Amino acid sequence: MAMDAALSYLNVTKVYSRSHLGRRYDTLGLSELTLEVRAGEILGLLGLNGSGKTTSIKLALGLLTPSLGEVRIFGKRPQEDGTLKDVGFLPELPYFYPNLSPAEALRFYGRLSGLRGGDLEKQIGVVLERVGLEPQRKKKLGEFSKGMLQKLGLAQAVLHRPKILFLDEPVSGLDPVAIRDIRELLSQLSREGCTLFLSSHSISEVERLCHRVAILVRGRLARLVESAEWEKAPGRLEQIFIETVAK
Amino acid sequence: MIIWTIAKNSWVDQLRNRFYYLIILFGGVLLYVSLLVGVLAVEQELRVLLDLGLALIELLTLIAAIFVTTTSILREMERKTIYLILTRPVSRLQYLLGRFFGLLISVACAMALMGLVHLSVLLAKGWKFDLFYPLVLFYSLLKVWLICSLSMLLALYASSTLTAMSITLILWLLGHFGHEIAFLVKKSAGIKAALLQTVSYIMPNMTLFNLREVWQHPDFVFSWSVFGASVAYALLYSSACLFLSQRLFNSKEL
Repeated sequence: MAMDAALSYLNVTKVYSRSHLGRRYDTLGLSELTLEVRAGEILGLLGLNGSGKTTSIKLALGLLTPSLGEVRIFGKRPQEDGTLKDVGFLPELPYFYPNLSPAEALRFYGRLSGLRGGDLEKQIGVVLERVGLEPQRKKKLGEFSKGMLQKLGLAQAVLHRPKILFLDEPVSGLDPVAIRDIRELLSQLSREGCTLFLSSHSISEVERLCHRVAILVRGRLARLVESAEWEKAPGRLEQIFIETVAK
Repeated sequence: MIIWTIAKNSWVDQLRNRFYYLIILFGGVLLYVSLLVGVLAVEQELRVLLDLGLALIELLTLIAAIFVTTTSILREMERKTIYLILTRPVSRLQYLLGRFFGLLISVACAMALMGLVHLSVLLAKGWKFDLFYPLVLFYSLLKVWLICSLSMLLALYASSTLTAMSITLILWLLGHFGHEIAFLVKKSAGIKAALLQTVSYIMPNMTLFNLREVWQHPDFVFSWSVFGASVAYALLYSSACLFLSQRLFNSKEL
């Protein structure tokens, strides 16, 4: 494992087991994934539905346990004390408690991340300003649009100044303006040194944002592509992706 | 601190949701009943109002507690709001305890508010305040405490709200037949007795908290040792449920 690895998958396999009427059914989620994400880079995960993108993210966050192998974040297992304090996560279509305001929701998540008092209040102001939700500070989240919820999702993910950010389909279902806003925010975070690990179906977004892209096919890492490679390719990243998944 | 943060979040969320509606509903029912009993039970008006009110408070709180406990964690898993909590430095035990205490605080607040409404009606009708009144409510709260921990365990085990609710309600009902089951154990032998004995250990013994039914009896004598034993039983039973809930929750893949 390289010293500058922010995230490492070491031969990770995940099998989902389900029992029904005494019979066990196994589904392969991820197979022997070995991958390193360098500190400060943006790595995108591309794949068809069920290729293992969300499984990879959940394994890194400790929401799932690997069947084989191990995942390390800055050299530590996700379940170890203190690992998750440097981690931010934006799930696909985040859902919030509808009766809270954005400031109340952020106060809750901030406290869980260890922020307190003046620092917490200052950070709430900073991230709300940054995602453009400051004018809606007191509005109930039940009245928020999908794009606004996504922005709040990003705000809660970066509130505690994480070193690595996991994003599951960050632009899914958003309108073009919201997509542009989210993209700009992510680029800015990357410039500030935050490592970004994102899964997406949107090849064009991944192409614009990422330094490297990992293509997963049926739970296996089929190809790892550097940005220089797709910039030179005739059909760019889309062509590489289609060729890879068609194999 | 983490447990308190989660508990407070649960509490605020519940208070802004259905608990106020429950209290309004109860207040409406109670006032309506108080008007009715004035007509129907001329000489026993206060007695009926007192008994009916306390029974309603317990029943409404219990139904709300079972509903909220069985749905809250499963709903968080379904809506994935749990991801935003467990991907922070929060252990699953802290999450579970936070949710549990938050729900319990919500239930206790609802019960206290309903008690105040009930007490106001009673006092307005000329009832003389008795110190056993808050104690009866406390015993009802112990019942709810026990049921909350049991329904949380069942919800995590069954992974289905309806199944968990049904089993909790059945166990709550059976729990009121502790004396009858003890009698059956004495009258039985062999495997049947062993089975009944096991059932009596697993079931929550609600008869320990039935102060509401006996406190007005002329022969009733309050005992601190019985009180202590009831509280200890509630604490031990709910701790066992929470321990098992944590084991189940730790093994759950989200």
